[in-house]
Amino acid sequence: MTRTEFWQGNIACAEGALAAGCRFFGGYPITPSTEVAEHMAVKLPKKNGVFIQMEDEIASIAAVIGASWTGARAMTATSGPGFSLMMENIGYAAMTETPCVIVNVQRGGPSTGQPTMGAQGDMMQCRFGSHGDYSIIALCPASVQEMYELTARAFNLADQYRVPVFLMADEIIGHMREKILVPDSVPLQQRKALVKGTLPFKPGADMIPGFPQFGKGYGVHVTGLTHDERGYPCATNPKLHETLVHRLVDKVEIARDQIADYDVINPDAEQVFIAYGAPVRTVQQLLHDRADEKIGFLRIRTVWPFPEKSLRAFKNAKRFLVPELNLGQIAREIERHTNVPVQSLPKLGGDLHTPQELREALEAGQ
Amino acid sequence: MSYEDWFRKDRLPHIFCAGCGNGTIINCTLAAIEQMDWKKDDTVFVSGIGCSSRASGYIITDSLHTTHGRAIAFATGVKMANPNLNVVVFTGDGDLAAIGGNHFIHACRRNIDITVVCMNNQIYGMTGGQGSPTTPKGCLSSTTPYGCVESPFDLSELAIAAGANYVSRWTSYHVKELEKAIKTGFETPGFSFIEALVQCPTAFGRRNKFKQVSDQIEYMKAHSLLKAKYDRLVESGEPVPTDMFIVGELAHRKRPVMGAKP
Amino acid sequence: MKLAIDETRCKGCNLCTKVCPYHIFQAGKKPNKKGIVLPELDRPERCANCRLQYLYGRTLCGVCQLTCPDQAIHWVDEEPYEPMKVAIEY
Repeated sequence: MTRTEFWQGNIACAEGALAAGCRFFGGYPITPSTEVAEHMAVKLPKKNGVFIQMEDEIASIAAVIGASWTGARAMTATSGPGFSLMMENIGYAAMTETPCVIVNVQRGGPSTGQPTMGAQGDMMQCRFGSHGDYSIIALCPASVQEMYELTARAFNLADQYRVPVFLMADEIIGHMREKILVPDSVPLQQRKALVKGTLPFKPGADMIPGFPQFGKGYGVHVTGLTHDERGYPCATNPKLHETLVHRLVDKVEIARDQIADYDVINPDAEQVFIAYGAPVRTVQQLLHDRADEKIGFLRIRTVWPFPEKSLRAFKNAKRFLVPELNLGQIAREIERHTNVPVQSLPKLGGDLHTPQELREALEAGQ
Repeated sequence: MSYEDWFRKDRLPHIFCAGCGNGTIINCTLAAIEQMDWKKDDTVFVSGIGCSSRASGYIITDSLHTTHGRAIAFATGVKMANPNLNVVVFTGDGDLAAIGGNHFIHACRRNIDITVVCMNNQIYGMTGGQGSPTTPKGCLSSTTPYGCVESPFDLSELAIAAGANYVSRWTSYHVKELEKAIKTGFETPGFSFIEALVQCPTAFGRRNKFKQVSDQIEYMKAHSLLKAKYDRLVESGEPVPTDMFIVGELAHRKRPVMGAKP
Repeated sequence: MKLAIDETRCKGCNLCTKVCPYHIFQAGKKPNKKGIVLPELDRPERCANCRLQYLYGRTLCGVCQLTCPDQAIHWVDEEPYEPMKVAIEY
């Protein structure tokens, strides 16, 4: 039995997290993500969970990582400036393979920028923001319904792959209110526990080691230094570092297809829109307005790792049009994977593309 | 003594220089834990970055060696998510007072039930001896080559002002007293802060006229003023020597606590 | 019980020579293979813990072990245990 609600995106995000069993929230107020924290502050104590407002975003993500090591499903929510502050510890989470969920309700940047306006300017930062090489998973919701579902999925992905998982929403989706069908339960996939007696950072066939939860007698040493399979620091061994970093990247990259989540609409089309997040809605409007024209549309929900196979679904594609609320961050990523000309349709300022703008772009190239 | 079982024997000897006081503080902390009868499975050590923060890696329990200055923030997450764990933070003066100063005062304010042992060597040891927030005025370091001109932090006073339930200061010379203070810190619900002044022969002593390790130990022994004696001096209106630092139990109170064992 | 210095751990800082009330630890003279000058033990049978730990059932004094920054000092069981005549110094 599902029930129907009329929720704001941020509330749906918090509810999705609660449904997925999130029991720890460490956060710091920042527009436009604050509603997530506020809702968690109301709901978590009633569900035996912990809400704590930390002194800054650095401490928020630190507390989330600490909580995650005790076995709790933990998350934080922030926006641009706070996201930048979190970067060091996100790298720490990647290095130590700590499952955690970070919600970024994106706003216009750089710097303080436009606190109350939507943007998608952090798409590259979430992938490459911390120093060194690592891999992460990023999901982009385009509706309130997806805020709920993708948040719940983010926890499963974090636990399965032991990486930080980002929910890269934006102010438009975060603050939008619309109808949502709330299911009774969401699919849950718990993290795989470490088999006692095996080394804590010795990976299985899927390149992911079992999780040695604190307080269960594993006696594990977790460090952000380059570590061997025992977890001991060993920072001057070139071979060891190479192996470790390759594994951190590859464990996500080899699972691209399992992680990928996208819709292919009109695969025979020559003109194909590619969108994620809020611009999806404009493209949908355009497709609705011109249903007879069979415009191609690739709607991506998992931006990182980028589902490059999805591009091959459009056999006749002559042009990919990529409307984004940034200066073409993902358009460049798409260019890397295809020989089809890619036309970036950037938009800054906080407003969505209008269907008219997309129509003009479509017609200009034909 | 059986606290030897708490070491990861396969990782010893540790990376600290000959004569470094950090090892002494680890001994005292583990000796105090042994008296507390804590189980290894229920104890978590958290540390940041720096010489002192390497300590957590030499202990056989679950341990979290985190990013620079953030140890207390990580520990807050661990403790709040599982209050049944005993959480001990090893940190240093640069880690705690410089980059992690904000987390420190806020943990004191929240009075979260963790114990912080700060190995204050008054210098950045691991990066080669730069001036830290606790480098005394006039002392030489690689970034204060003409003598430190900034006033140092009094970490214990800071903890008291911010609201910690238990604050005590000793040195690596006062091993028995330090062990007892750490034990009292463990027993006290709420935020316990134990500042341990340690010698750093390589980065601090060498530059500041302590030719031998023992010279700095002798200095700490001679310049520590017991809290009780300090109180007597103040009461009788006698002058308090300005070149001495107060050691002893500086605060022990019962403010409301967060994250205590249920 | 017998005092012992773990040669694999000792870094030769000589802090033990400062703290023992009986001055059992004396600065050594000859460097070992690693170039570290280990302290030497002067009549270690005088150590209170060596003699009385069994009697009291707990560690007595133990300051050298607590102070040793390199965890190199410990007590080992003597096999066979030989009661030794001890001259108490005042």
